[in-house]
Amino acid sequence: MMCDECGIREAKFHLTTIKNDERSERRLCPVCMAKYQKQLPGLDFTDLAGIINNMLSNIRGSREEAQETEAWSELICEQCGTTYAEFRKSGMVGCANCYSAFREPLDSLLQRIHGNTQHTGRIPGAVRKGVSLRMNIDRLREQLNKAVAQEEYEQAAKLRDAIRTLTAQLNNADANGDIKVRPHQRLDSQFGEGGENHV
Amino acid sequence: MSDYVQAPEQDVVISSRVRLSRNYDDLPFSPKLTREYAEEVIDRTADAVFNGKNGDAYTLFRMSDMEQDARARLVEHHLISYDLLKYVNRSAAMISSAGTITVMLNEEDHVRFQGMLPGLQLERSADMAIRLDDQVSAQYPFAFDSQLGYLTAYPANVGTGMRCSVVMHLPALASAGQIGTVMQAVAKLGLTIRGLYGDGSEARGHLYQVSNQATLGRSEEDVVHSLAAAVEQIVEHERTMRENAEKKDMLSLQDRLLRSWGELMYARIMPIDEFMRRYSDIRYAASMGYLHAPLPGLDVIMMDVQPGSLGVRAGKLIGEREAEILRAKTLREELGKLVMD
Repeated sequence: MMCDECGIREAKFHLTTIKNDERSERRLCPVCMAKYQKQLPGLDFTDLAGIINNMLSNIRGSREEAQETEAWSELICEQCGTTYAEFRKSGMVGCANCYSAFREPLDSLLQRIHGNTQHTGRIPGAVRKGVSLRMNIDRLREQLNKAVAQEEYEQAAKLRDAIRTLTAQLNNADANGDIKVRPHQRLDSQFGEGGENHV
Repeated sequence: MSDYVQAPEQDVVISSRVRLSRNYDDLPFSPKLTREYAEEVIDRTADAVFNGKNGDAYTLFRMSDMEQDARARLVEHHLISYDLLKYVNRSAAMISSAGTITVMLNEEDHVRFQGMLPGLQLERSADMAIRLDDQVSAQYPFAFDSQLGYLTAYPANVGTGMRCSVVMHLPALASAGQIGTVMQAVAKLGLTIRGLYGDGSEARGHLYQVSNQATLGRSEEDVVHSLAAAVEQIVEHERTMRENAEKKDMLSLQDRLLRSWGELMYARIMPIDEFMRRYSDIRYAASMGYLHAPLPGLDVIMMDVQPGSLGVRAGKLIGEREAEILRAKTLREELGKLVMD
């Protein structure tokens, strides 16, 4: 179902307005919905957190996904202790690791916000080499799965070897410190001491 | 002549701004940011920026050390975001001596690099922000994921973490009732347009801000180019409307616009709402050549007579009435200097 307003994004909201006893219903995408809520003062989710919360509720609303989302409420980030409920309430994540901890709900959310879940922009100099290696490996893995599914075992074996070579390169680069992503080394199991001294 | 240099498309475009949101990969993000970690963000960034080789001199402002008017002045001059003031206890900004580059610290994200230039200069603004991003990240890596790109506190900013905005002056489109049409057109391109001060056709001073929405799935270059292309089209549209108004009845147009010059030069009490209307008129008049005043100069004066900036000028807390009187006095002096040159 496409948005009634722009016709280019998928509709995620159902807006019913009653004006002079006349009822009108529209299906809107988040972008157009945001525009509408500015015009309709009674509609109060002006903040990003509200919109995100609403989108997540929308995801949860779908029957088939009810079980999955039930499991989401149990999610917690081991790095910073942010719970799924906290994330839903504020709309913000607590640390870089939250993106792994809340991967599944985030994927749906990001698809809804950006219409995309793959970054195509700049890559920081220090990780450029590692990222391009990882992307190559991911691409080869997909090809490998396809080859196996189509029972092209000769091709699959070649792909497997190529993946091994690239993985070895990646591990070497890591060991040599060519890839300077520091995996949360300053932190112990948790950040800080908790709530008291938050600013 | 004045030393103001006209920037590209400045008859319609006031300024271009590019912001990059970044977070240190080993520090907790905004909701979990303790005072200690917030200090670490400031220390690291200051270290990398101050010790950089790129020659710009920066000043570090801690928001908690500043008077309310001084902070408001920075917002009014677009040197910092309004949101930075939501976190006054921990936030800071490093501002380059030329005022074109700002590094905001401990806002929604640890670091926001901002490049800002007059007129339509998105690409150069982006270059300035990116250069500084490279300089800092070479020393202290930012949170980055090969799939999601740069990681931010709000998922709405992940990917490039880049928000580009262009402030446009659209008096002719607004008086022709065409802003709604422009809004619909830019929404189809994944862009938004809103009043810089207040929304819709009521936008104060007919100032509008056009920005990109999505940050994930499109490259920085792509976003900058498509936003610039959309802005160019709005610029053409606005110019056509201005020419049409002139063709229709030039004398009435001149009369209407230039009366505002008279009001601004002779008024003794100038409320902010009236000022913004008059400013729009004289900027329009100057762009048509009815008035010989440099546009960049008018824009600087516009920011200088906003409430916070006037408070800084007065050197003390002033009430609304005092501000209106000081605004009228400042306008007489500054506008007088502008046309004398």
